This record gives sequence, structure tokens and C-alpha cells, in this order.
Amino acid sequence: MHRPPPPSISSVTFRAVRECGVARQLAPLFAEFWQGYRAWFLRQGDQARPTYAESRRILRHHMPELLPIYDELVEAVGGGDVQARMLSLYRPTPYLSGCSQAVLLHGEPVLVRNYDYRPELCEGLLLHTHWAGRRVMAMSDCLWGVLDGVNDAGLAVALSFGGRPVVGDGFGVPLVLRYILQTCASVAAAVKVLCRVPIHMAYNITLLDARGEYRTVQVAPDRPPTITKSPVATNHQGTGDWPRYALVTSSEEREQYLLQCVADPAESAEQLEHRFLEPPLYSHNYHRGWGTLYTAAYRPGVGSVRLRWPTQQWDTSLGEFQEQSSRVEFGG
Amino acid sequence: MKKKTVTKKHAARRSRKQPRTKARSPRGPKLHGLSDIRRFFHRNTDPIFFISATNFNLLGIDEWVRNFWYINYIDCFDGQHPNVFIPREAPHRPFTSIEDINNYLLSHKEVIDFIKSKGGKPKAVFLMFDEETERLCRELGIEICFPTAAMRTEVDDKISTNRIAQRADVPCVPYVLAKAESYQDLRRVSKRLGNDLVVQTAFGDSGHTTFFISKERDWKKYEEEIVNAGELKIMKRIRCRGSALEACVTKHGTIVGPLMTELVGFKELTPYRGGWCGNEVFAGAFDKRIRESARQSAVKFGNELRRMGYRGYVELDFLTDLDNGKVYLGEVNPRITGASSMTNLAAFAHADAPLFLFHLLEWMGVNYELDVDALNSRWADPENIDTWSQLVIKFTDDHVQHVTAAPRSGIWELNRDGTATYVRMQTHRRTVQYENRAFFLRITAPGDYFYEGADLGILVSPGRFMTSNHRLNQRAKKWISAIRAHYAGADINPAAAAQAMEQVEVGGFKLS
Repeated sequence: MHRPPPPSISSVTFRAVRECGVARQLAPLFAEFWQGYRAWFLRQGDQARPTYAESRRILRHHMPELLPIYDELVEAVGGGDVQARMLSLYRPTPYLSGCSQAVLLHGEPVLVRNYDYRPELCEGLLLHTHWAGRRVMAMSDCLWGVLDGVNDAGLAVALSFGGRPVVGDGFGVPLVLRYILQTCASVAAAVKVLCRVPIHMAYNITLLDARGEYRTVQVAPDRPPTITKSPVATNHQGTGDWPRYALVTSSEEREQYLLQCVADPAESAEQLEHRFLEPPLYSHNYHRGWGTLYTAAYRPGVGSVRLRWPTQQWDTSLGEFQEQSSRVEFGG
Repeated sequence: MKKKTVTKKHAARRSRKQPRTKARSPRGPKLHGLSDIRRFFHRNTDPIFFISATNFNLLGIDEWVRNFWYINYIDCFDGQHPNVFIPREAPHRPFTSIEDINNYLLSHKEVIDFIKSKGGKPKAVFLMFDEETERLCRELGIEICFPTAAMRTEVDDKISTNRIAQRADVPCVPYVLAKAESYQDLRRVSKRLGNDLVVQTAFGDSGHTTFFISKERDWKKYEEEIVNAGELKIMKRIRCRGSALEACVTKHGTIVGPLMTELVGFKELTPYRGGWCGNEVFAGAFDKRIRESARQSAVKFGNELRRMGYRGYVELDFLTDLDNGKVYLGEVNPRITGASSMTNLAAFAHADAPLFLFHLLEWMGVNYELDVDALNSRWADPENIDTWSQLVIKFTDDHVQHVTAAPRSGIWELNRDGTATYVRMQTHRRTVQYENRAFFLRITAPGDYFYEGADLGILVSPGRFMTSNHRLNQRAKKWISAIRAHYAGADINPAAAAQAMEQVEVGGFKLS
């Protein structure tokens, strides 16, 4: 999520990394990101964040299957108290982003999304893991959290900020998406998790599985989740209670545009992916915190992802994961 | 055959939810007398942790008990104490109580890892703890060697104390327990106590829930608080001098430590008028009659506590009525206190065993026999009481500064010219031999803040610090001045001062 800012131009070095153990490759990456993570975690003061004992207790209660991976990951990156609390992603420091995501079922089911945020706060890590017998390929956040990804059971997920300023008791959503990809094989199972595990801010989570089942679940800490059959999500929930945010991010326009696109029976996956590289879906608002940093298209039926930028793209998959790295520039 | 309705697993799970309410039943081979008891502790295998802001209350116990560790928030010894563990990464945060600090420490990964690294069946002792502490210890498999919060609350309750004293035939300051809805009510129920009254409510530090009432306007000032408090302890206001002793309730009887004087309200030491700022232990501190009266009351009160199921350490305040010489029981604290290192490091403690070891014996379920009467007799003999005093030095000015220099913990020497020089590092005061030397425990360190009421440190020396008129003596004043001279601070702007005060621990650390 955080790394030291690049020297002059806004750029992100994207890396596709295969983690062979628990944290053999992750530990040095964590060391690189730690200064930024620590500053973010302690931004509201140490006392504003829950203790290690409480964080681990709540993690054990809601997502017990993650506990062995968590404990090993924590020791591998140094075993410190602040590190452990940050990695639990329990009641983290609030943050805002902005995204668009859509599902298309014409042909191979695909989930396409844009991730809009600040370049200097993007890890740029496509992480392939094989933890607890489950292979997952995902864009990471806070090292082991997931912004969007796919697993070898045929499930793909993506999150977008829900456009409401409410903050409450719960986990940072990237860890819940990690949990879903680690433990779920279907949209139905993922929806159950989203109805059970508390999430600390408002998000719209789109789920797609290999059978072509999809849902968008709107979660927030102050009300029960709303499960919709919408194939599309941007950055508002219902009529929204933060109209200014929706206005400046053009959330409703993007949603309407996407709904028209996916409703068109002639729309192909290639065309849809291409639309994400242009306005109104592609945002240049880097200085305001929601510039488009990457486009990802997941095909859960074949376990593949295409990462796209205006001038390049990566194609890789769970079965034939290719490690690579590219520097992408933004702004200007 | 009748089917068992409760399985072993179910019973074990159920028992894990409740903290143990009684001291463990004795097990293992029997220890016969003090030599066996001392050897038991020198060979102790289960780790015992004293978890607190500092290790002040149980200084020196680590040299009596093998596998005894201090887990603290403040590093008084700059990393030099062999048995103190301080989490390295503990970003500053405000605490509201000792319980808060203890719960923070028990929630900290470095502390949890340290405790787990010692293996065994860990035990913990605290200055104060609450239900959250009990939960955290349960989660970590730590046994707390103190009575439960519920039992301690019952003993700590100012009103309940008097009921226990009544059952034990221990005299208290003339009082009545009653509610009062109005000033007339108050006067009606307290007729026999005279005009000047002290009204106390069940809980809170004495300074906050004690009301002096002589006229109706005194009542009017505090009427709402008093009426809402429910049952009150209404006492005759007496001219008195306070004293304190510590005791240990055991299955073999109540062991009683020496009666100590209290230093209260000296402006060189504390900004608080009624603030406790030290103790003295010496043979002639009180005449024999007062000493005996307090000792007998302590034994009787302790035995009543034993009947209630209480075991272990307890501190009792006694008030001597200056007009008629009677000795009354004041407050009771069901815990170790700021006077504990006085009791536990005395020569008689060194010759037999520190009082706190008997507390551990009870809570570790050790099978032992002990002649408590003989022990008490030895500890009561003035020949066995060596003279020691401690000063609790607070910052008494009302401005805020950033601390840039502070004296180190260890042995100091007072020079003829009134300055003090650091001699060497030491972890307790037992080896200090002369009145021109003292052990200093630093609390406020460079990087902290000076503010009114901040605990700077504790100074312990042989000899007295008060005159026979209960004023601070010249030696005390010289020591205070000499040690204060090693502190330095830098002014900070008002905005920084305000921010510093937000971060500073509220109310200082309650060392008593």
C-alpha cells in the first residue's frame, strides 16, 4: 500500500512475484514497504489502533483458517508488535480509493476492473501464492491483502470503495478478499463470508466464478450487506450519503456507462477491456488520489489475468505464472 | 447406568472461563520451615512475572526467586537490570490507570513472545488488575497469583472494610454506616459522632470520595455526589497520624510486617496537600503500645480475611488518634503497595524471607509448614528492625518542560558540599550501608516531560527522613536537592506543552 515516493515523476514499478513458501519473497518486499506501512498505521497515533492480542483474537474468531499463515508471515517479516498488528488488518487506519469493475458473460466469463488510487501508495505487486493447498494470483495490498484476484477453485473477486465516509469495527477489506480466495470455491460461499466477517469501511465487492455466477455485494460497518445481481460496481452504494465524493469521481456516470456496455449483446470481452483504458472509466486524477493505476481482467474459468496499461500488457495465469517487472509512468 | 451429563472436556472448558477464586490446594513434598522455603524459591522452575509500569514495588525479589521476571513499560535501569524486560517498540500512548498499562503490556507481541519463551506454567503478579487483565492472562495460560477482582473489590470497599473489622473485633474510627438524603438525615444518623464529620463513599481514591462536613454549606457543596453514592461511611473527624503495615494471610496464620510511618504532603516532594510521599521503618517509630495494638488488629483482621477465603498480601493503614491515643484501622489495600519494597528488603526479611515469598507460597499451592507465631515474634522485636526510609519525589512546579537530563538508577553518595555523585549500578537498596548513601530508582527519564505531579523517582536510604515532630529533616532536604540537581529540562512552547500533556500518563503512576 505504501512505499517511499519515487524520485521525480509519478511511476509505479509493477512486479509479478511467485511466493514459493510463506514469505521467502515477501519478507524483503515487506522490508521495502515497511517505512510507508508504519507511517500509515500510526498516522492516528498508536493508541488508535487495536493491540496485538485483540487483533489476533478477532482474526482467530472470524477467519481462523488464515491464522497459521498470519503467524508465519509475521515471524518472517520480523515478528514485531506494530508489524503484527498492521498485518492483521483489523481496524486499520481509514483510507479512500476509487475504482470501476464489471462482469461480462459473453463467452468466457470475465471480471474487468480499474484500480484508481495514488501512484505512490500502490504496491504494484501481482502475487502468486500457494498457501494451505490453494493457489491464488492477486494484486496485493498490505502485503497479503487482495485488491482483486483469482484462485484455482475458479473464483474471481474485485473491490471498489463504496463512497460512504463511515468507519467502524472490522477488517481492512483486502484481508477479507484474501480469506475468500483462500477458502471459497464459489460466489455463494464468498457471499456467506461477506455476510459474516465485519469490514471496517464501505466497499462494493464483485464476485464471479467459473460457472458464470456473479454478485456485487455492498458492505459497510453500519448496516447489513446488500447482495445485488449487478454485474457492475463503481464508488457509491444506493443513492449514497457522500454526494460530493460521487460527483467528483463521476461514480454514477461510470456505473451507467458500464451497465450499458455489459447489457449490449454485441459487446465482446476485448472491447470491454479496451473501454477501461479510456474515459470515462480511465481516470487521470492522480493528484487527487484516484488516477487509474492498472486495468485487470480475470477469467476464473481458466485461472488467468491480463494486466493492462495504455502502452503495455501482461498475460499470465495460475498454472503458468510468469515473473516479470515493468515500470509504468503516470500523470504528466 | 446413569449417563454422565458433564464430560471432563466440558468441565475443563467451563473452568477455563472462570478465574481461579481460591489459592491452589497444597501439593508436592512438604517444606519444613524457612530453610526449605528459601531453597524452594532458589530452585523455582515455573516462570513468575511481575507486570507493571516499573518494578518498584517488588525490587530485589528476583534475587530470592529463581525464574522471577519483571515486565515493565518504563526502563528505570537503561537496559542494565538482568531480569527486566521492556518491549523495544512501544510508541508513546496515554494511559489512564495502572490496569491500563498492564493490559497494554499483556497485549503486546514482544511481551507475549517473552512470556512464551520462558515455557513452564507461567504465573503473574500485578500491582492492580481488572477483568480485562484476567481475560488476557487466561488467553495466554497465565495463572494470576492474587485473589480475583471480585474478592479484592470486597476487601477494598471502604464500607465493607468496616464490616470485616467489626466481625474481627478490630476497632475503626467511630463511625456509622447509613444513607443520607439530606443534611438533616446526616445529622440524625450521626448524632453520637459529634459535629465534625468525615463522609466516605464506597470507592475511589481517598482524595476524591472523602468529604469533610462540619456545616450545612459543606454538605451543599457535595450534596449530589453524596446522595447518589448510596450507603455512606460517616466517621467522627479526629486529629490523627497515619501509619501503614503490610501483612500476609496464610493457611498457618497472618504474618505481620513492621508498622511504618508515612510521609505526607511535604512541599519539597509533592504538589498534593494530602499526597503520600514516603515511609520510614525504624524500631522506635511508634511506642510499644501502638505497635502492639496495630499488630494484634492486623492478625485479627487477617484471620477474618482467611475465613472469607482471602489469601496473600494485604496492606493496612492505621490511624492513631492524637487526642486519646487510640489506634484505629483505616483503609485496607488487598495488594502489594508502594511500601512493599520497604517491607521486603528489611534485615529481618533478609534473615528469614521477604514477606512476598509467603504470598507466593500460598498462591503456588505449596505444601509447607511454618511457625507463624515465632516469625511474627522475631519481626516484632525492635532488635530485628533496621532503620530505612524512602522518599517519593514528584515534580512540584506547575510548568511543563522536556526532560534533557536525569539521574541514573543505582547507588548515589551525598557529598559534604551538598552535591550527589553516582557510585554504581544496583537493582535494589539492600547493600546501601551508610546514611550518606542511597539507592535511587529513576522514573522520569530524558525524553519524558516534567509536569506538576510527575513521579521523578524514589530515593531509599538508611536512617530517618523525618524529625520526631514529623517534619522533613535536613538530611532529606539535602538529598532531595542533590538528586534534583541532576535533572535538567528545556522549555517548550505552549502548543507543544499542551500536546505533551495529552500524551502524558494521566494522574502519574500510582505507586502506592
